[in-house]
Amino acid sequence: MELFLQQLINGIALGSVYGLAALGLTLVFGVLRIPNLAHGALYMVGAYVTYFALVSYGIPYIAAIGLSAVVLAVVGITIERLVFHPLRNAPHTHHLIAAVGVLFFLESGAQVLWGSEFRQMPSPFVGTVEVLGLNIGLQRLVVIFASIAVMAALYLFLKKTVPGQTIEAIEQDRTGASLVGIDANRVSMMTFGISAALAAVAASLVAPINLVFPTMGEALNLKVFAIIILGGLGSIPGAIVGGFLLALAEVFSSTYISNAFGQAIGFVFLLVVLAVRPTGLFSKGV
Amino acid sequence: MKRTKFVPALLVGLLAFGVYACGGGGGAGEEGDGGNGGDGEEQVVEIGYSGPLSGGAALYGENVLDGMRMAVEDLNEDGMEIDGQPATFEIASLDDRYLPNEAATNAQRLVQQDGVSAIFIPHSGGIFAAQGINTDRNPFLLGAYSSDPAILEQENPLTMMIPPRFDNYMEPFTELQMERFGDRLGLIPTESEYGQEWTDQISAEWESQGGEVLSNNGIDYSETTDYAGPVTQALSEDPDVMFIGGPSQPTALIVEEARNQGFEGGFILMDQSKIEEMEAFTSLENMEGSLGVAPLSEVEDPGAEAFVERYAEEITEDRPAVSEVAYNYQSVHILANAMALAGTSEDPEAIRENIEPALSEVEEEYQVANFPDGFTEEGHLAGEVLAVSLEDGEFVPVEVPQMQ
Repeated sequence: MELFLQQLINGIALGSVYGLAALGLTLVFGVLRIPNLAHGALYMVGAYVTYFALVSYGIPYIAAIGLSAVVLAVVGITIERLVFHPLRNAPHTHHLIAAVGVLFFLESGAQVLWGSEFRQMPSPFVGTVEVLGLNIGLQRLVVIFASIAVMAALYLFLKKTVPGQTIEAIEQDRTGASLVGIDANRVSMMTFGISAALAAVAASLVAPINLVFPTMGEALNLKVFAIIILGGLGSIPGAIVGGFLLALAEVFSSTYISNAFGQAIGFVFLLVVLAVRPTGLFSKGV
Repeated sequence: MKRTKFVPALLVGLLAFGVYACGGGGGAGEEGDGGNGGDGEEQVVEIGYSGPLSGGAALYGENVLDGMRMAVEDLNEDGMEIDGQPATFEIASLDDRYLPNEAATNAQRLVQQDGVSAIFIPHSGGIFAAQGINTDRNPFLLGAYSSDPAILEQENPLTMMIPPRFDNYMEPFTELQMERFGDRLGLIPTESEYGQEWTDQISAEWESQGGEVLSNNGIDYSETTDYAGPVTQALSEDPDVMFIGGPSQPTALIVEEARNQGFEGGFILMDQSKIEEMEAFTSLENMEGSLGVAPLSEVEDPGAEAFVERYAEEITEDRPAVSEVAYNYQSVHILANAMALAGTSEDPEAIRENIEPALSEVEEEYQVANFPDGFTEEGHLAGEVLAVSLEDGEFVPVEVPQMQ
């Protein structure tokens, strides 16, 4: 039982990071129909920005995450303008190729600028708390609560504010939205900005329990793609549920079945969903 | 309908990405201007390198290259003569992104384009691939930096295996930790081919000494987002000793996580993990009870101390000099001396034959890490090996007998 609870907490913490990262990806897909393969690289850049804000400028952790989100939003918007906007009328494969290009650019850029060594991000939330005989790292609790807060804020933004609603409107019907006067250009930029900011927050939250290095986004990249296909491309609840589902499945199947199976489970899920419900769990059945 | 159409396109994209993730990225970096003189007054001797210089293992590759460059600096400063003519040494390096087939392709390029007669490769996959071609049309001497004993089993006549073979560690490590902490061994090794090999050997040894080996919770260290899960799993079986190891930095995080979750036993560290590198990522207190290869600061070689200082001055102060820097450094010195004795920088067989006598020619200040006292028939630079055990915050030296 203790093992189960400990792993449940571990799974929820992992799931919040997956969910947060997948949200940004699914937003961009929903609005722009771009499978942004560079998402993991944006996640990595976000971690570096937070790291340097903390270590080189001594900005407090939470403020550093905020700063990183803003910087990454600007990076996201720049990429949208320079790379994806000019390709808006090109075939889909061009987006894919461009996204891989951005990925290479960011990863190699990070290696040249910051070197390939591992860095450890200091966090003020060190140590463990004991709850019901379980040892839970403080940072993991921060990851869980901060992710849920960010997800809730995003939900309110999309549902309750006008700029948020324009994102949803474009997602539902691009032509219709343009007809009622929504500026698709502005929405595209905003979506990319939010997506990159979410990646930065996810990376900054998880970095203190992991490491910061140029290829840190690669492992996550494949997983978040699995998650959004699982949850339904472009679906926000799909990304969140998919994130938790994948994380819990990974943790529990490694615990109770086998370790190797735990690492493959995400892709087993993916195959099953694609076979049974190719549009994903939460798609609106287009 | 739009959405469904995307799924296949996306899968194609993911596949393309997967190919990249396995190392399709980056570009080859090359230095040195090629050409292998010999007739002029001054000859340029190129020494080849193929290893990871981009991607996840880039730092490791750079470390190896740094060691080689430092040696070349010494050689050029001292001025060495080969066959009566002064020689200038240079390094020709190519990035193989840790891929075996790339390493073999690079090796061929280095021999054909740069005219090198010796190539250093720091990963077992690349070494095996190079062993398949280094006795063919374009022969070269292979400086093999990997502790996998299988390198010697190939009976390749042109291999010089540099580090101590890892099977040396099994018996003393098992004996010490079992006696000190108990007989239940938990496993969280990194899931590389190399990690697997280590795991198999340590498990077999642990069992043969009467201990119990618990389930294998191996993970890919560089692709794991949170180490808590595997650590919880391993600890649920109540191990006395944990076998861990992969790149030093993630290994340190596993140590930290295990202590946070209440583990009080000892650790056996795979030789890939370096205590001096781990120290920056977790406290010595957390590492209490660890047994692993000795940091350079603990080895007794005459040049070790000065080497560590020089590394900090010339290369970087951000991280300590580690064994891959030091071993490759002294091996370039061995190689250059073998060339001098052979009277040629171009004939790999002649150079190979002079490695054993070259050992005594290398000056003391260049002997920096368990300097070998012999060169075996199979092609191994063998010698005393030192490990350390962390007891009450102190490094206690552990002699590791050499197997042949």
